[in-house]
Amino acid sequence: MHESPILRTVARIAVPLTLLLSLLIFEQGHDHPGGGFIAGVIAAAAGAMYLLAFGLARAARIPWWRVSIVGLLCALMSGAVPYFTGSTFMDHRILEWELPLLGHGHLPSATFFDLGVYLIVLGTLMTLFVELGLEERRWNS
Amino acid sequence: MALLPVNALTLALAAPFAAALLIALTGRWLGRVSGLFLVAAALASFGAILSVVGANSPVLAVHEWVPSLGVAFRLRADAFGGFFALLISGIGVLVALYSLGYDTPELSRARVGRYYAELATFMGAMLGIALADDLILLFVFWEITSISSYLLIGFWYERDAARAGALTALLVTAMGGLAMLAGFVLIGQATGSFALSEIVADDARRAALVASPAFLPALALVLVGAFTKSAQFPFHFWLPGAMVAPTPISTYLHSATMVKAGVFLLARLAPLFAASLVWPLVVVPIGLATFFLGAWQSFRESDLKALLAYSTVSTLGLLTAVYGLRAPEQDVLQILSHATYKGSLFMIAGIVEHATGTRDLRELGGLRRTLPVSFALCVLGVMSMGGLPPLFGFVAKEALYASLLASPVLASEPLLHGFVIALVVVANGFLLASGLKLLIGTFLGEARGTHASHASHGTHEAHGEPVLLWLPAAVLALGALGLGLLSAGDTSERLVTGLSSAANAQLEVSLLPVHAGPLALSLFGLALGAAIYRARTRVEALQQRLDRWPDAQATWDALVAGLTRFAEAYSEWWQNGSLRWYFTITILFTMGIGFFALEAGGISIAHAAVSFESLDWTAAALAALILLATLAVIRSDTRLGSALALSASGFLVALLYAVYRSPDILLTQILIETVSTVVILLVLYFMPPFRKDGLSPALRAWNAAVSAGFGLVMFVFVLLCTSPAFRETRNLGQDYLARSLGEAGGRNAVNVIIVDFRAMDTIGEITVLVVVGLCVFGLLRARRGES
Repeated sequence: MHESPILRTVARIAVPLTLLLSLLIFEQGHDHPGGGFIAGVIAAAAGAMYLLAFGLARAARIPWWRVSIVGLLCALMSGAVPYFTGSTFMDHRILEWELPLLGHGHLPSATFFDLGVYLIVLGTLMTLFVELGLEERRWNS
Repeated sequence: MALLPVNALTLALAAPFAAALLIALTGRWLGRVSGLFLVAAALASFGAILSVVGANSPVLAVHEWVPSLGVAFRLRADAFGGFFALLISGIGVLVALYSLGYDTPELSRARVGRYYAELATFMGAMLGIALADDLILLFVFWEITSISSYLLIGFWYERDAARAGALTALLVTAMGGLAMLAGFVLIGQATGSFALSEIVADDARRAALVASPAFLPALALVLVGAFTKSAQFPFHFWLPGAMVAPTPISTYLHSATMVKAGVFLLARLAPLFAASLVWPLVVVPIGLATFFLGAWQSFRESDLKALLAYSTVSTLGLLTAVYGLRAPEQDVLQILSHATYKGSLFMIAGIVEHATGTRDLRELGGLRRTLPVSFALCVLGVMSMGGLPPLFGFVAKEALYASLLASPVLASEPLLHGFVIALVVVANGFLLASGLKLLIGTFLGEARGTHASHASHGTHEAHGEPVLLWLPAAVLALGALGLGLLSAGDTSERLVTGLSSAANAQLEVSLLPVHAGPLALSLFGLALGAAIYRARTRVEALQQRLDRWPDAQATWDALVAGLTRFAEAYSEWWQNGSLRWYFTITILFTMGIGFFALEAGGISIAHAAVSFESLDWTAAALAALILLATLAVIRSDTRLGSALALSASGFLVALLYAVYRSPDILLTQILIETVSTVVILLVLYFMPPFRKDGLSPALRAWNAAVSAGFGLVMFVFVLLCTSPAFRETRNLGQDYLARSLGEAGGRNAVNVIIVDFRAMDTIGEITVLVVVGLCVFGLLRARRGES
């Protein structure tokens, strides 16, 4: 694939920023527009940019399909934990805690589920990008 | 609601599964040593069950599993279930030890580890069958045994015969399992409960089942499950085929445990069905036919394991017939008698194969000098199998004859009664004859055939008798002797009647013959067996002439081949690989669902109200642009042009969301459009040149009709959803918005719906996503020829 210096220069800045954005969107997902799905797509967009700028070989170093498997496990575990602590499957609750310096915090346990969604979307899309990119061209059109 | 309570029963069940997990994790490094986990787990289970089985009240462990369906995780160790569980874990210990002694240095550690993990899973599932008090739970464990036994039978997966034998066993038993599930569901619906002990104890529930029109179908379906698992005619063929398994597996699965699961099921369900007239009419003939055919076929075989396999089929038929004759008090006696001698004989067959490299009787002989311990044990085993005193087999046979002679089921039909007894005696004669064939052919006479030449040339390294191999066999064989001797007193009698599935079992178990009738039958059977063995050349010639009739295996193979051909033809028609076809089907189906939803919800188009008051001119302009972009998709002459026009229409839709202030969907839409454009462009790169002229006018018209129809459906839906009347009556959105913060701690209701309220739906979706990713990965890698 053709790699241009301009794209590379832009990607050096844009890829980390996009990833940061994706984390931000993920974090605010429970209260504001965002969430694991969108954040995962944003991260995949960053991945696509990286892939175009720096080539497939570097993007393919990560076994992306495993990322999606980890995500699925994460989502299932977050559903299974309530089950094994005496509630029903997928019965999410809000975790609250008090810490000396950080003060009061709360985190819905559904966030772990959302993290699973994030990883699955990212892993699957990147698998698609990388595998389709690695295909050889078959027809001349 | 807590999870399962920690008690002896749950521990007994959890131990093998925990061992399986542990072995699966460490087996690839530990190899053979990981088998010790299995030994420990089996011992723990055995001890745990032993501690509760004697208790007066049955122990229950209940966890509401699927409360909405009345399915619960109920465990119970009543006398018979407890006995069965003890048998499974006890023989499990012996088989695990025996496996440790079965030295196979050519196998990798990972493979040996996997063997023990599968064996542990199997043991856990068998214990589950024995202890489950819920029909659905029983079914789940039943299927786990089918699958784990498939893996175990196919252990030598590089051999064609092993794969074929394993597959046949899986197909037959899993098919029976599914039939059984259907039967269980019918029972559950008729009685209103899946809890086995509740149904059995409750007269009203049982009466409801008997009165139900589903009674006969349920009976038939459940019997199919029991008969397939216990290798009853005409499903008997999978058992000899499964002898391709390693010998420890044959010992465990095919003599002591899995095949008894079907018999166990009969015992469990006999209280529901046995009162029916149909029960003996179906169960007795099948059981007796299996008993006789198994014994007959057993004598024909010259492979040690095949001989034993058919004699097992035979005994399973006898057990089935015993339940059919409503004599369940016999069960523990017969099962115990069979498990002791057959387990030891299978182990001895393994020792012989281990020592000589063959199990073919035509190549064996004269091993009494090289394998003296096995010889002694084999004498005991064959004596018990043939029913010679003072072995337990003799005691069991006497009790069986006594109960046959006094059978109330047969008493009204003297002719039939005589025929049944004659059949049983003749079959027992054949069993004794095949036992003699095995004993004499293997250990007496002179060494023959290739084995002899091997030995004389020293090409086959002669293995001795490792203690881990003969010790488990000795435990079982001496068990048969010990139980027989104990029958002189009343120990055995109290044991087998106390553990029987029959309530208040009355059974005379005695080493000393007290009645003339059974003794006469016994003596006659022994004489017949000896006569058959003496005339073996003539009998074998007769058997050769009659051939392997009825050949159930061939029928089955033809059936499977036919099914495969049908599946292929169907797939080629339905899954024809044309994307256009798939899209058409998907769209038509969605349309159908949409119309169905409207119809079922009682919503007509009359509910739609169109008002132009709130019409926004920005939105109208955007809609016009979207329409234009969509037209461009159709009109474009290149794939690239279509793809870009499609993206344009997508981004325009996103703008529409901005106009209506829906940031969440806006964000999603923009991102999805971006990413899907990238994917489309990547894919386009590999597409052949686009040709529009390839479509016939009829096909074009059809495509247009499908598209227009789908557009119409979507139009109606949007119209309805935005109509005031509809929004007021069916507003899920307000409900979710109200509950979002309080119940799920999130202000973004859309995300809360995805991850919390409808998390189960999301689980389904993300699983599909992962599978799609894996499929793309696998297909493309395979095409490129990478691993």
